[in-house]
Amino acid sequence: KRFYSLKVAPKVSPSATAEKVKLSPASQNLEITKLPNGLVIASLENFSPASRIGVFIKTGSRYETTSNLGTTHLLRLASNLTTKGASSFRITRGIEAVGGSLSVHATREKMAYSVVCLRDYVDTVMEYLLNVTTAPEFRPWEVADLQPQLKVDKAIAFQNPQVGVLENLHAAAYKNALANPLYCPDYRVGKITSEQLHHFVQNNFTSSRMALVGIGIKHSTLKQVAEQFLNIRSGAGAPGAKAVYRGGEIRKQSSDSLVHAAVVAEGAVIGSKEADAFSVLQYVLGAGPLVKRGSKVTCKLTQGVAKATSKPFDVSAFNVNYSDSGLFGIYTISQAPDAGEVIKAALNQVKAVAQGGVTDADVTVAKNQLKANYLMSVETSKGLLNEIGSEALVSGTHTSPSAAAQKIDSVTTADVVNAAKKFISGKKSMAATGDLGNTPFLDEL
Amino acid sequence: AGGGRLLERIRKWYYNAAGFNKLGLMRDDTLHEDDDVKEALKRLPEHLYNARVFRIKRALDLSLKHQILPKDQWVKYEEDHPYLEPYLKEVIRERREREAWNKK
Repeated sequence: KRFYSLKVAPKVSPSATAEKVKLSPASQNLEITKLPNGLVIASLENFSPASRIGVFIKTGSRYETTSNLGTTHLLRLASNLTTKGASSFRITRGIEAVGGSLSVHATREKMAYSVVCLRDYVDTVMEYLLNVTTAPEFRPWEVADLQPQLKVDKAIAFQNPQVGVLENLHAAAYKNALANPLYCPDYRVGKITSEQLHHFVQNNFTSSRMALVGIGIKHSTLKQVAEQFLNIRSGAGAPGAKAVYRGGEIRKQSSDSLVHAAVVAEGAVIGSKEADAFSVLQYVLGAGPLVKRGSKVTCKLTQGVAKATSKPFDVSAFNVNYSDSGLFGIYTISQAPDAGEVIKAALNQVKAVAQGGVTDADVTVAKNQLKANYLMSVETSKGLLNEIGSEALVSGTHTSPSAAAQKIDSVTTADVVNAAKKFISGKKSMAATGDLGNTPFLDEL
Repeated sequence: AGGGRLLERIRKWYYNAAGFNKLGLMRDDTLHEDDDVKEALKRLPEHLYNARVFRIKRALDLSLKHQILPKDQWVKYEEDHPYLEPYLKEVIRERREREAWNKK
């Protein structure tokens, strides 16, 4: 069952989505159309030998309710089950036979089913892709056989402590919608029924919430396919609840000698000007190593925390944006006895920025890093597809790299300072895992 | 199932002559359990499966006592539903598909 993959993707660059990467002189520009039923079609014909097609759907764990938690997780795993047009066996073997692959990537707000294959076989895999997204059958015995896979998937994912911390962070920060876990809660494993899956698909996989995106395929082909096959469910489907930020804390005591902690406040919404400011602030503070296996000595956060402790640690700024809310803050990994000092030192650094302790040079450096990171992420066809699809879902348009770079450049130092002020003054949420003896509570920070 | 009324009457006669309806069994209860039937049984919804188990238990009990049901409780030809047939057909179709792919 190698045909499902799942990623949790906290978005670094929320607003800009770029296309128009001319890979060869003959490649065309990106074309984007919106059908009357709300479906958005985008394609880039770059004449590459491999085509990548994705169906993006505006649904995710935030659209679950407490009575059907875990449905999206099972849905992610169920992408190769029997459909009306092809049995599970045939989907697996058929895609294998042409050397393609089908995968599912889901975040809290969107799901993306994508296939990649050689150009000549696009018709075959497209048929399977459409079957999987529009006409799954969820036969009861297949669904029942799939449920143990939830446990395995969860075990693999939670080997990484960050996954657990981020799940807890969202559960602590929000009252509903975005608080729903990406992974099925333990008590629901084995209890998700085929009817619940059908119900979820009926209510959420509607044409007006979908986008069909292709790279290496003609626009007219995609359009024809969309008009013929993706017209089945119209309407807006069930609306999601508006996410309500509450600001709480969740601590998970374990025997781990490394403490992972995240302290955040409410951040910016996707596509807003604030979001750009938060992204730049993230890079001013430090967002991941710039040199592989390097020690991030140039990041403000690292410099600040290095004064507080000499033991190994890691700290970076954390930033996610959703369609109606966001989270911004710091993520620290430290030795258990030092946890308190590390977190306090990191927060003091952000406070320093909020009080104006950031120069224009710092901001320019951060902007360049942000631009570079963003542009490099859309260099691969996978990153590109993801970007086009996400923006198509959110706004039905797309932004070229130059426009995206301009948006980033238009962020001023004052904006960055304001963003830091918003973090300092906002109601905080916290999630921590590890040996928490020396980890302060939110009210002690 | 074609043939008209004559064929229908012959079928009904054969059904009653076979006699398993006197033990309260339906046709699909008497299928020999080879691999395909076993797989189809796994896919039966719970209420159908429970009814089947009950009927088989009752028939075993009767045959143990060398008795049959009273005439008004015999399964009628018109009431005998081939409940397992759709599942069995699907199982066989899938097996044939697998074999066809593996031969290629």
